[in-house]
Amino acid sequence: MGATKAMTDTVVDVENLSLHYFTSKGAVRAVDGVSFSLARGETLGVVGESGCGKTTMGLALLNIPSPPGRIVGGRILIAGTDIVPMSEKEIRQTVRWQKISMVFQGAMNCLTPVFTVGQQMRETIQTHKPMPRAQAEAVIARYLGLVGLPAEVARRYPHELSGGMKQRVVIATALFLEPRVVILDEPTTALDVIVQAQIINVIKTLKREMDLSLIFITHDLATEAEVADRILVMYAGKVAEIAANEQVFDRQPCHPYTKRLLAATPRLHEKVSELAFIPGTPPDLLDPPAGCRFHPRCPEAFDRCAREEPPLVEIEPGHLAACWRCINA
Amino acid sequence: MPENTILEVSNLSKHFSVRRSLGQIVSGRKSVVRAVDGVSFAVRRQEILGLVGESGCGKTTTGKLVMKLLEPTAGGIRFDGREATNAAGEELAHYRRQVQMIFQDPYASMNPRFKIRDVLEEPLLIHGLGANRSEREELIRQALAEVKLTPVEDFMGRFPHMLSGGQRQRAATARTLILSPALLVADEPVSMIDLSTRAEILAMMKEVQRKLGLSFLYITHDLSTARYFTDRIAVMYLGRIVEIGTPDDVVDRSVHPYTRALISAVCEPVSGRVKTIKELPIRGEIPSAAAIPPGCRFHPRCLFARPECREQPEPELAETWTGHLAACRRWKEI
Amino acid sequence: MRGENLSYWLKDFWSEFRKNTSGLVGLAFLGLFAAAAIFEPLLIPFAETNRKWRDITYWDDNPKSAPPAWTNWFASRKSAVSTVLRASETTEERSDGVRLVRHSFAYAFSYDRPPLDIIVHFKGSGNIPLIVGVQRPDGAELELFREQATVNDGEDVRIPLGKAAKSAVFDFAKGYEPEEATADIDIGQIRSVNVLFARAQEGMLARPEPLRGRYTFTLTVMLLDEASRIDEPRVVISGGVSGILGTDNSKRDLWSGMIAGVKWALLIGLLTAFVAVALGVVYGIVSAYFGGWVDAVMQRVFEIFVNMPLLPILIVMSAVFRPSIWFMILMMSAFFWVGPVKTVRAIALQIKEETYIEASRALGAGSARIIFRHMVPLLVPYSFASMALYVPGAVVYEATVSLLGLGDARIVTWGQLLRDALGGGAVLNGLWWWVVPPGISIALMGMTFAFIGFAMDKILHPKLRTR
Repeated sequence: MGATKAMTDTVVDVENLSLHYFTSKGAVRAVDGVSFSLARGETLGVVGESGCGKTTMGLALLNIPSPPGRIVGGRILIAGTDIVPMSEKEIRQTVRWQKISMVFQGAMNCLTPVFTVGQQMRETIQTHKPMPRAQAEAVIARYLGLVGLPAEVARRYPHELSGGMKQRVVIATALFLEPRVVILDEPTTALDVIVQAQIINVIKTLKREMDLSLIFITHDLATEAEVADRILVMYAGKVAEIAANEQVFDRQPCHPYTKRLLAATPRLHEKVSELAFIPGTPPDLLDPPAGCRFHPRCPEAFDRCAREEPPLVEIEPGHLAACWRCINA
Repeated sequence: MPENTILEVSNLSKHFSVRRSLGQIVSGRKSVVRAVDGVSFAVRRQEILGLVGESGCGKTTTGKLVMKLLEPTAGGIRFDGREATNAAGEELAHYRRQVQMIFQDPYASMNPRFKIRDVLEEPLLIHGLGANRSEREELIRQALAEVKLTPVEDFMGRFPHMLSGGQRQRAATARTLILSPALLVADEPVSMIDLSTRAEILAMMKEVQRKLGLSFLYITHDLSTARYFTDRIAVMYLGRIVEIGTPDDVVDRSVHPYTRALISAVCEPVSGRVKTIKELPIRGEIPSAAAIPPGCRFHPRCLFARPECREQPEPELAETWTGHLAACRRWKEI
Repeated sequence: MRGENLSYWLKDFWSEFRKNTSGLVGLAFLGLFAAAAIFEPLLIPFAETNRKWRDITYWDDNPKSAPPAWTNWFASRKSAVSTVLRASETTEERSDGVRLVRHSFAYAFSYDRPPLDIIVHFKGSGNIPLIVGVQRPDGAELELFREQATVNDGEDVRIPLGKAAKSAVFDFAKGYEPEEATADIDIGQIRSVNVLFARAQEGMLARPEPLRGRYTFTLTVMLLDEASRIDEPRVVISGGVSGILGTDNSKRDLWSGMIAGVKWALLIGLLTAFVAVALGVVYGIVSAYFGGWVDAVMQRVFEIFVNMPLLPILIVMSAVFRPSIWFMILMMSAFFWVGPVKTVRAIALQIKEETYIEASRALGAGSARIIFRHMVPLLVPYSFASMALYVPGAVVYEATVSLLGLGDARIVTWGQLLRDALGGGAVLNGLWWWVVPPGISIALMGMTFAFIGFAMDKILHPKLRTR
């Protein structure tokens, strides 16, 4: 376990979650023993590079079947109920979109060009909570307004909208059943800089007005800095570090990977002569290295790191790390 | 053209005519997308000039015009002291050797069925370098060593899909270096590469640039990386350059309202911003390049716009202080 | 691939191809077909099949519409297998310059049904009196036929005993039948061979029961002078079943016909497919690459060709010129090339937009290099797949043309076999051995090329490799 419960109630509690992709070459351990919790009204930023398992984990929280992937262990407690053993039908009817919803990666490009925005939003509504058309249209108008779009956008086709507008539509679609938790997977990555900032503002406003708890997944630490209360760093399918925003950006993170990721993130207002990088590549999740998964690339590794995998341990209140150096210190 | 300038671009424009609907044809209206609309800048020898802007600002199109992959609608290019706008035949071949491009998608820019050695051999074959196979292989080995893709023999025999994103971009860089060019146009070379490897690739490019004395035209939307990598930055908006200067000037002492908006929007890895809604000194959305606003093209979105910004002709890039130019008529008051 | 690279590339290619089962199967079949074509003279029992397919006299010794010999395995009543007997024993006597030569032919008859006919052949020259006789297993010796034959040099003499021995056999049988029975029987109605092989007993004329055992046929000739001689004496047993694939209603051995058809199938199929696909692919790529008015003009030309009906044109052409297989291949290629054009053009249009094409252009590559170095290799797998589909198409097209009598009558093709089968009522009469082999062979040829094509695609497209 090892996850600290926040002061107020916990809306999401993940215990030792593992999801493997069963391919013809073997089991890819995409998510391997991940534990964390999300407190009410909090934004948890999940950060990691491509292939670290953050998207897979996001999908797992809604228990979306993505063959050949399968949850092989752990519990996911959404508002106290474990959704792992639930049937697909039960999840669809009681959990998905009602308690927890998701803005998928690249969703704005998945709006089909043959239907208007309104028709597509209505389809989502009818799938989860059938209602008469007039009522659905009222719901659509309300949520478009909440994301800052005029109601008449519902009559437009996706190709008539800009990237930012499409992303707002997708966000609105994730909210209309008033879930407690929203997972956002790279919601700003494909957008222009100024539009990114606007969308982040929209997300922050919505969070406050609708009392949401967010899980914000991205590969960009700079974006996380501006949205996340707590940061969860993933590497090769496992949690490397969980720490508060200030811990990471004001003081120092503990895990060597987090430190180097931070050093590799370019800053606009700080003139840097050298940008740090991490030599090597992330491990093959079919056959991860023994011991700590980061040890082949870690400049601070010592012999124990190659033998034994470090557990995720609370090294200070509210600060967890999976690293022998951090645990020993 | 000053002695130390390798590339000079004057008033370059590229307009695309757009398919018209029946209604438009009947009413006689024409739709033209002015992707690049009068761009002028110069790249000095051994300098890295960054071309920064959001999508649709015309930076990629400008890069392709410089590469002569597109024909300009207007304007001219001078390269290494000579007129290059209408180069053909031998002159064009020479230009192509001297000016090379690194593309954004490292996988798509190489034929997936070619081995790396074939990918690198192609430019040699096109331009007739290397009298026989072993000479060419020697040149290929050197180029791969330059970008640190070692062991060289191993990489020569691999296919692109057997390389990581960073390695592919190194191979693509090697392909450009093998002809000993003078100018490299890099179009978002690291945007599709992992964060932890990005800096490594940029470091490699910077080292190659220093060692071989190359000039770079570095196209990107990421202002932070541009600040680290470039010697000068040009900010583009809707087909024109609105500000140009040193990275320090453009970022810390920006003049044009658009540049300022861009800078305020960039996310920084610092704490204390989670609870705040960012103030963005800009209005509305980017207009379509087919319907560019009259006067100063930024005026509908500018918080400081006055009637003269719309009524008077578009402001040209003018020097604000030494080495720094901006296209805003009210910059002193803002 | 430049020459110096080629051998390395082939070795590399082969080591990959070896890992692909279906490709190996296809290659195996192609090998079988090629071997059949190359070793044709050794495989077919009737050496002049190619030249004499339309010559009835060449096939005269075969039974008509006979099933293959191996069907005896499954038959409850086994028919005699067609075979050719060579002289097992030859004796020669001389006296006063006259030679009496006697050839004996041993025949073991162990079937339920007797042969349909027995034909004695020999070549020779001179004035030759001859006697044909037989010794039955029950000891009876019969003189079947005697004649004074005048043989021109090199001429082949043919004595079908079914007709020639009628009276001899009838006389023999009369000895065992009662007077009343034989009186009513018309000698013309007797199946003499059946009686010859029947048990010597009452009722052997009407209901002959087969007598199994060793029969010895003899050919005794008198050579009156040194100039007279006989060569290659043989006795052909024309049985109820014949050959590896039976015979058709013109008595032609179908196995010979099938093997003879292999080379034509390969030739027609491969040549047409290759020329057509090569033309079509290059046409499609060039059209897509240059775009603009070049593309427009090329596509209009294409549309003209596509809309021309091949069959009427072929008919008119055949009426004007003499139909030959080469002409047909030419005509088919001239129209088949349109097949791949649209798809190739669509693929080429996509390839044209690929970043690496742009990169090549940025390096200074000319049109020829981009087309032949980048685009054509990408379309080679599709070309092979197309070819695989055109091979059976060309073979069947030729069959269709043959159906109308426009085919090249000088050659034997599977299409012609099918046409003869249809025309000869093979389906109605249940002569499956006539219809199935050519049909299956056409299908197998298509399968062969399809397997090879897919295996090549797997290799030529690196991402699909299994390593």
